[in-house]
Parts: sequence; structure tokens; C-alpha cells
Amino acid sequence: MHWDAAACTDKGLIRPINEDSYRISQEQNLFVLSDGLGGAAKGEVASAIAVEAVAASLNERTSTGAQGSFATRPEVSEDTRSLVRAIEVANRKIHDEAMRDSTCRGMGATIVAARISGRRLGLAHVGDSRAYLFRADALEQLTADHSLVAEQVRHGLLTHQQAATSELQSVLTRALGMEETVEIDADEIELFPGDSLLLCSDGLTRMVPEAEIGAILAQAPDVRVAAEQLVHRANERGGHDNVTVIVIRGSERSKRWIAKFFPWGRSNVI
Amino acid sequence: MPILIVKFEGSVLKKVLTNGGPITIGRLPDNAIAIDNLAVSNRHAQISSEQGHLVIKDLDSLNGTFVNNQRVKQSSLKDGDVVMVGKHSIYIDGNDRGEVPASDVKQPAPNAKEARSVDETLVLDTEKRRRLMQEIAATGERSQIAPSRIRVATLVRVKGRIEEAEYPLTGKLTVIGKSEMATVRLRGWFKPKVAAQISRRDDGYYLGRGDKVPNVNGSPVWAPILLADGDVIDVCGVQLKFTIKE
Repeated sequence: MHWDAAACTDKGLIRPINEDSYRISQEQNLFVLSDGLGGAAKGEVASAIAVEAVAASLNERTSTGAQGSFATRPEVSEDTRSLVRAIEVANRKIHDEAMRDSTCRGMGATIVAARISGRRLGLAHVGDSRAYLFRADALEQLTADHSLVAEQVRHGLLTHQQAATSELQSVLTRALGMEETVEIDADEIELFPGDSLLLCSDGLTRMVPEAEIGAILAQAPDVRVAAEQLVHRANERGGHDNVTVIVIRGSERSKRWIAKFFPWGRSNVI
Repeated sequence: MPILIVKFEGSVLKKVLTNGGPITIGRLPDNAIAIDNLAVSNRHAQISSEQGHLVIKDLDSLNGTFVNNQRVKQSSLKDGDVVMVGKHSIYIDGNDRGEVPASDVKQPAPNAKEARSVDETLVLDTEKRRRLMQEIAATGERSQIAPSRIRVATLVRVKGRIEEAEYPLTGKLTVIGKSEMATVRLRGWFKPKVAAQISRRDDGYYLGRGDKVPNVNGSPVWAPILLADGDVIDVCGVQLKFTIKE
């Protein structure tokens, strides 16, 4: 399968600067975005370190785990383990920088990262930035938010609807940079032709309901248009926060090859 | 003889006796312990009895076999050891206690500090979080916090051309379809790759359509719906019962 990807980011209409960062690299097989924690403490520095450190760490191809790392991850494959280790490195770098530079004390960031190998999607994340799968015209959230309200839902204390309107929505239970080590969630799923993936910061999902996100993904002719329309819609609906999206769409190689030689039969190719 | 207790997230899936020949572990359904996970090889590992004790051998799996969190090619197994393959744990119960030691799957330990900047985003430390959750619980109907993980559900075959009698829903997404990688694999010429899918969310399991519209208890499912214990799912000539213990 072949994957097209596009990203779009915007500081929104209210915030003075954009504290989100992202990186897409097909060569490295990496799609990552990070949302710096808001407020005075240099969120933009934290998120920039996060994506930079993850990309650099994957480049180094060190196979042994960092000290105190979750090197044993039997539930995911090596590609995804490398991603987890890279995020551990990023966490350490943000924390170290925050200790080193007093103006950065307390800074932190979320992260959500994906790698695609064949039809296997590997995901790793910390915080409330999300990965969604778009399949059969339905949006499915693949990551579990590390936020207080999400934990309340998981404990049966809140319904989804209550969580969506809670005032405590932005209270996180995990973020990069807070401590020397961090618990990173990782998972893998199998992808099917026709699937789309969306990585996004909460600036999208706070402004745009999932049904609308799905509608945009369904009708957009390509990933670039989809990414731009999503960001545009977030701003249309208020733009209260920075917003970043990465849209990834798959198509089967054979389809593309055949379509190239038989363009008139494109829609009939099985 | 020791018993192997196969667990997923605190739920016991099955118990396997070790009194016979080698016990194979892998992704293919014909393994004695079949584990449906992308990180598990078709033939992943094997547990056998050698000279009166248990031995596990990794069968050149892609992602490794782990005993007590260490990756091994081959290792003897004793009472209390934990083998990890994919997201599943296999406990060695040598004394036929039928129980599993308390040191179970590692619990997530959020160790975040509170951010200095008290602006839009706060990060709670563990103690604050626990206190806050208890306060919230006390004001609601429940007087204590329910366990955070939802139980593992199972699909039980009622009728139709599928391989297994039961499918534990241990993944984030369970696809019912023709693909050889689908969990519930449909046979037949005209079956779609993704007929329907079940997703495991924070508040339970949801069934959604794929290329086909499934029925639940006779009603078509156009948008994902939360499944309840005993619900009967019909899709592509296959009927499955959804079971989940509270």
C-alpha cells in the first residue's frame, strides 16, 4: 500500500503564538505532532524539542533501550518500540532543558506519533493529542486521552457527554517533560485499503465535532485539501487554540499502477 | 503438572494443562494458545516438558518472547514465572493453586508534576489525581471508584462459516471480514475485507458497520452502537453472540 500524507498547522484566532510542532518524514516512516502546554512556560520550546528529538532518535537507530526504558514491549513490533524509545528520549530532553533553563521550568508537551509498515500502523502517545482512524465513513479514536475527564469516563464516573462539556477537560494526567521518565501508551492495528488516518492536537477536536471531521475527510479529494479544510473549520468555529493536523490516506499500489495505464477504467478496478 | 494461565489485562482467557506434548503459541488459530495480535508471529513460541520441568523456546519470532520482562530465546519456566507474548500474559501455576500472584500486569503510574504555569493546561500528580477522583466519586451515585479497565468481551459463534467457536476481543479494533488478517475471518467469494468492526472504547465495546451493515438483535446498525452482554450480531451470513462479564 502507498500512503499520502499532508499536514497543516495554525496558531488559531486567540492564542498569540503557535505552540504546536509537527514532523512528517516518509523516509524515516514517521508522522508526529506535539502540543506544548499552554501558559507562560515555553510550550513552543517543549513541542519543538519533542518532534526534533523523536526524529533524531529514530535516525540514530540505536537498538538498545535507554536506561529505565520500557524496552520490553512484547505487544508491539520493533518499529513501534523504536518509536516508544524515541519518545522516552524526547521526554528526557525536555525535562533536562527545563531543569537547565529556569525560564523553561515546568514546560511540557503532549505527543502523538505514528509509523506505518506495510499494513501495520504503530502508534505511541502521551497526553490528549489524538490519532483517529477513518474507515467506512466513521471516525474511530485510536488513542486513549491522558486527561482527567477521560480517566473519569474510564472509571465510570462520567459519561462521554459529560466529559465533553466538563470545565476540567484540559487537565492532563501525563505529559512529556514533567518527570525524568514517562509512561507512554503504544498500540498497533492493521490498516485496510481506503483507510485514512488523522493525527491532531486538541485545538481541532475542541472546536469541530467528530461528525464534521468525518464529513471533511469523506469528501476531500486529497490529503492536502483535507488538512487545510480541517484547520480552516477549526478557525471558523472559533479558533480558540492552536490547531495541527496530519492526514494520511492509503491506496493500493496495484490500483495506482493500473489507473496509470487504464485511466478510463479507474473506477472499475477491483 | 503445572497449569498455564493465559490472561489478558487481568482477565483469565483460558487455562492449559501441560501434561501432554508441546504447547504451541502463535497467531494462527491452530496453535494451542492462539493470540490475535499484530506483533505475534504465526508460530511464535513453544512450551514443552523436558526432564520434568517446563521449557519455553522462541521459534524465531519477529518480536520476541519475554519471560519475567526479559527477552529469551530459550528458558526454563518455574512456578510464578510470567511469559509475555503480544499483550497476553501466561502464568506458570506449578502448585495448581488456580490463582495468579498479586504482582500482575504493571499498573500505569502517572508521575507527572503539576506544571508551574497555572494557565489552560494543568498536569496532575498521582496524589492530587486520586484525591480529585474520590471527591468526584463521592458527590455522585457511586461511593467508590469502579475498576478502570473494562472487562474483556468475547464473540461466540452461533452459526456461519468461521473458524473458531470463540473470539476474545483483546484488540482496539476487531475486524469481521475476509482479509486473512481479520480476527473473525469470513469464508466465501464475495465477502468484503471489512464487513463490520468492533472497537474497544473507554466505556465499552461498540459495533460499527464496514462495507456491510450488520444487525444487532435484528436491527441494522448504521452508526456505532454500544454492545451489551447477550447481544446477537448478524453479518454476512454469520451470527455471533457478544458476551461480557461484569
